[in-house]
This record gives sequence, C-alpha cells and structure tokens, in this order.
Amino acid sequence: MSVAIMKTKAELALAEQFQSALPALPGGPEVAKVRQQAIATFGELGLPHRRIEDWKYTDLRTAFKDPAPPSAGDAAKLTVGDLIVALGPYMDLDAPRIVFVNGHYRRPLSNLAGAEAVIVSPLSEKFERLTPAQSDAVTSLNTAFVTDGAVITIPAGVTLEKPLLIVSLTAGKDARLSTVRHQIDAGADARATLVELFITLPGSSPDQQTNTLTTLTAGDRASITHVKAASDGGRATHLSNWIVALGAGTLYRGFQMTSGLALVRNEIAALYRGEHAKLDISGVFLGRSNDHIDTTLTVDHAVPHCESRELFAGVLDGRARGIFQGKIIVRPDAQKTDGKQMARAMMLSPDAEFDSKPELEIYADDVVCGHGSTVAEIDEDLLFYCQARGIPADEARAMLVESFIGEAIERVEHEGLRHCLMQTATAWLNALPA
Amino acid sequence: MLEIKNLHVKIAAEDKPILKGINLVVPNGEVHAIMGPNGSGKSTLAYVLAGRSDYEVTEGDILWNNESILGMAPDVRAAKGVFLAFQYPMEIPGVAGLTFLRTAANAVRKKRGQAEYTTPEFMKVVRERAAKLNIDIEMLKRPVNVGFSGGEKKRSEILQMAMLEPTLCVLDETDSGLDIDALRIVSDGVNALRGPDRSMVVITHYQRLLDYIVPDKVHVLAHGVIRKTGDKELAKQLETTGYAEFEGKAA
Ligand SMILES: Nc1ncnc2c1ncn2[C@@H]1O[C@H](COP(=O)(O)OP(=O)(O)O)[C@@H](O)[C@H]1O
Ligand SMILES: [Mg+2]
Repeated sequence: MSVAIMKTKAELALAEQFQSALPALPGGPEVAKVRQQAIATFGELGLPHRRIEDWKYTDLRTAFKDPAPPSAGDAAKLTVGDLIVALGPYMDLDAPRIVFVNGHYRRPLSNLAGAEAVIVSPLSEKFERLTPAQSDAVTSLNTAFVTDGAVITIPAGVTLEKPLLIVSLTAGKDARLSTVRHQIDAGADARATLVELFITLPGSSPDQQTNTLTTLTAGDRASITHVKAASDGGRATHLSNWIVALGAGTLYRGFQMTSGLALVRNEIAALYRGEHAKLDISGVFLGRSNDHIDTTLTVDHAVPHCESRELFAGVLDGRARGIFQGKIIVRPDAQKTDGKQMARAMMLSPDAEFDSKPELEIYADDVVCGHGSTVAEIDEDLLFYCQARGIPADEARAMLVESFIGEAIERVEHEGLRHCLMQTATAWLNALPA
Repeated sequence: MLEIKNLHVKIAAEDKPILKGINLVVPNGEVHAIMGPNGSGKSTLAYVLAGRSDYEVTEGDILWNNESILGMAPDVRAAKGVFLAFQYPMEIPGVAGLTFLRTAANAVRKKRGQAEYTTPEFMKVVRERAAKLNIDIEMLKRPVNVGFSGGEKKRSEILQMAMLEPTLCVLDETDSGLDIDALRIVSDGVNALRGPDRSMVVITHYQRLLDYIVPDKVHVLAHGVIRKTGDKELAKQLETTGYAEFEGKAA
C-alpha cells in the first residue's frame, strides 16, 4: 500500500462525482459492484504523477486539475447536420457508423448499412458484465464511469469491406467527462478496418474531457486495421487506452492521430498470443501552444517469430510538448522476434519540447530489435530551394511538414482514410500562427 | 535585361566580403558565361540573384527589367522570371517530384496571372518536357532528387526550369558531374529555351559547356570582381592558360 498522500482537489472531486453519478450509470448491481471496486482502486492509487516511472513526463496530479462532471444521457441533442459538420471528410467515405454523443449511443445518428456482416451494438443496451481490464488509475476511472461504447464482433472468416466508424462526439456549452469503452472481437481470418473518431462539435465548450478504452482481440490470421483520430478539442483532455491481443499469424495495423487537444495520454498495450503475427503501429501527433501529447506504447513479444514496427511522427509548435515512450518486451521464449521502433519530432518553435524514452527489455538471445528517435527543424536550405521554385514560404513550410508526417500516414493502407487524416493535418497546419 | 551595379555582398552571419563591386549587364536574348577559379564568388552571385538570405548585399543593386529585385522574396523573384539551376540540387524526402513540379509551376502561373494547370494539362506538358530531357516519368513519382545520380539531378533542374518558363536563367555549374551524353541532353534543353526574351547567365568552371551553349560574352570572376570580359574566344584561351593570371589578389 502506498504512503498516504494528500488527495488533490481533482481526486476528491472524482470520488464525489462518482457517488452522485452511480445511480444513473448503466448496468445492474453486479456492474455497480465492479464500478465501486474500480473507484476504490483509483482512491488508493490517486492520479498518476511523475514519480511513477511510466508517468514521468505526464503528471496528471498537476496537469489534470478540474474534472468535469460526468455527462448524463440528456446532453446535447444533435442533428445529422451537426454530424456531417463534425465528420467533415470522413462523410465522403460513405462508411457505416455507430455514433456516441458525450458518451451515449445515438441511434438516429448511427447508420450501420454496409456492416451487416458484423455484429455491432452499443454497450449500454446489454450492460450485463463489466471487467476492470487493467488495474491502473486511468482504466479504473474508465471502469467506474463508463456509460457506453461499441461492442463489435467480426465473426470468423468475415470480411468487412468498408471501414466501420466508431464516432465519439463531444458537444454542449458545458464541459463534460465522457467515458466510453469499445470492445472489438475479431474471429479467425476476419478482415476489417475500424476507425475511432473523437471530435468536439464546433461551438461547444473547448474543455471537454474523454476517457476511452478499447480492447481488441484478433483471432488467428485475422487482418485488422485500427485507426484512431482525435482532433479539434480546443483545451480538451483525452485519456486513451488500447489493449490489443493478437492471435497466431495475424496482421494488425494500428494508427493514431492526435491534433488540437491540450492534454493527451495515448496508451497502447499490445500482446502477442500466437506466433508469426505482425503488427505495425504508427501515428502522428500535432501540438501547438501548451498542448501536451503523450504516447506510451508497450509491445509484449510473449511468443516467438513475431514482428513489430512502430513509427510515430510529431510536429510541435509554440510551447507544446510531445512524449514518446516505447517499450518492447521480448520474453525468454520469444526467439526470432523482429522489433523496430522509430519516433521523430519536428520542432517549429524553440520553446517546444520532445521527450523520447525507448525501452528494450530483451530476455531472449536470437532477436533483432532496434529503436531510434530524431528531432529536427524545418531545413532552411530546403525552404529556400522551394521558394526559389516559386513556392511561397508558408506553402513551402506546410509542404515540408506534410512530407514529414506523410511517412507515418502512408502506413495507413486505405486511401480514403489516408486522405481524411492528411486533410485534418493540413487544416491543423494552416491554422498555426505565422 | 539584367543590370548588376557595383554589387557588394557579404555572408550575413559574418563580416566576410565575397563580392566586391560586380558590374554586369545582360541584355534580353543574350547568354553570358561567368568563369573563374573555385572560391571566386560565382555561386554567391547566383544565390544573391535568387534571393538567398544567407547573404547580405552591402552596396549596389540588381535590376531585372528596370526594377530592383533586392527587396523581393525568392518566390516573388521566381514569379518575375528569375530561375537558378543549383550547383548542388537539393533532395526533398517525402515530396514526390510531380507534386513539387506542379506546386511550383502553378504557384508562378498564379502570380503571373496565368491560369493554373489542370491535372491533365500539367501531365501533358510535363511528359513532353521530361521526354526531351530523357527523364522517365516514373522517376518523377519518387521524392524530389532522392537517390538520383549527379546527372539525374542536373537534368531534373533543367526540367524544373522548363516547367517554370523563366526569363532569366542562371545556371550554376550545370555541367559538373555530367558525362558527354548527359551534357549534350542538358545543353539541348537549355538551348531550346534560348530566345529573344530570355537572358541567361551560365556559370562554369570549364570551357567544355560553352561548346554546346555558345555564349555572347564571357566574364572572368576572380576574388569577387569581374577581371576580364571577352567573347567565346576568351573561354578557349582560358582553357589553355588556366586561371593563373587571376590567382593573385585584385589590384
Ligand atoms: N554560406 C557561406 N558561408 C561561409 N562562407 C561562404 C559561404 N558561401 C560562400 N562562402 C565563401 O565565399 C567564397 C566564394 O564562394 P562561392 O561563391 O561558392 O565560390 P565559387 O562558386 O566561385 O566556387 C568562398 O571562399 C567560400 O568559402
Ligand atoms: Mg560554385
């Protein structure tokens, strides 16, 4: 048990908010019990702080000061018109979607035409069980407060042709805490592209808070693309966890893009359960003013003959801070592991900061593992070269930055999705102060 | 017409003068060669014409079509027709050659009040002009100059020049690193652009290029000043005597 530390205002507020929210939270007495255990766990742990090694660069005790009240189901009534505005280029994908507003399923905004081959339902409709998933503070909060999420089963052998959008909108004049949990279960030989979108509706409070947790299990030989794009939240807080388990011979492609959010922790834990599986997790993080974006990755090679690739690229302006922590664990039996990791940041301002902490924990001897990290600025000589070809400085700068993040975005195979991601990035770049 | 008047240039970051009073007039339709020993300031002159900010003009002026270009950003000069083919073309990882050419061509067209190329128009023009320079269109799908040989980079510069349709072409040692076939292709490309409305400044260390691109005048630049001016015979003469005559400090 840890030494009793003074609870922060935020910790006390979260405990109080839980007690008042509990009666309205979905699920029967069994679920309520799990929630209560989770808030008790959180009470013991408190918010993560910098003396916890994994949270060295992201001290939530100091950064997360004002927990917003949990959203109740009555929040913002949105129209399809609002949804179209929020989704922007993603509308053009003409993809099936399940939509949540402030953490609550919205049937009128959802449209699952085209996803008939898979089983998609909101968690709130049959909230019979709740598992803690992990025992850390942030997932405990998720377990305590979760209101809804997508439960998706892709049966064995099924191919989902179009990407399936899992849309979480935050909206409303008041800041709210939205807590969602998605569960994705892909059977053997299943093929699908799943896209989690987190968007704040224009005109809403810029201080929205989200705690999201996705568990994804891929059966043997499944081929899954899993994308998350979180954007345009002003001063929003976004705490995210992905817990991924891969069967034998699976191909898993993960991608995360973060832009326009103030306090972000993206955690990804991937575990290999079967041999000859491959994963590629890439991402782009875009930070400006005082944004703080933390990507913390753990890839656990528990079995032999698996491959992992990670490439993250960040652009940091103003006083923004980017963090990349990448841990590769190779267990004693995991011979022939092939793991490579790369994190790059481009600094647009002398006051921006990038911290990269790779960790290789290798207990097997016949493995190939590597990691790297670079920090660069815009190359002034290249900028002159572009200008000498008639391209104005701001356009040239945007082109060079786009090419920098393009390498990571290229890892997304779906062309339409790539286009959407690039458009978000371009819009973010164009909105930077000159 | 290009008029360089008593141009003094130093490196912006240091107090090191490089050009010490250059006077040069290149009328429309003429090709002038600038030759000289290494380190004499040829590339500096080329960069200053294009507007590189590492250099500072401390005295004098550069007029292009009777207008001073010194206060203009490089992209504005490019729109006014100034083009520099770099001695060392740069690689731009992540930007496809075709994207770069199209962005550049349309940027100058827009500033010149011409309609921007549509995709089919652009592809047609770039195909034609690349073919003339023996450049495979597949090569232009790769990032700009990345992995190109020295000769490929120089041809890529001339293609950019052809696409931007400049009226003042400054070629900085475009011949270095080219074998005889590549030299002929590049020279044909340059000669195709010669015309009554275009001025050219061809910087070279060797006389060889001037057999292909025949200049109207030849200037010798040494220690930051033009030490001698003549016709193409001067280049031939330098081929035999070398630059020994100009190695000493200017009087
Ligand atoms: N950016 C720079 N920084 C420092 N010295 C420079 C720079 N550019 C040119 N010089 C110096 O100026 C002189 C002229 O260089 P340059 O113009 O490249 O000559 P050339 O092209 O005739 O060989 C050389 O002494 C060179 O070292
Ligand atoms: Mg030179």
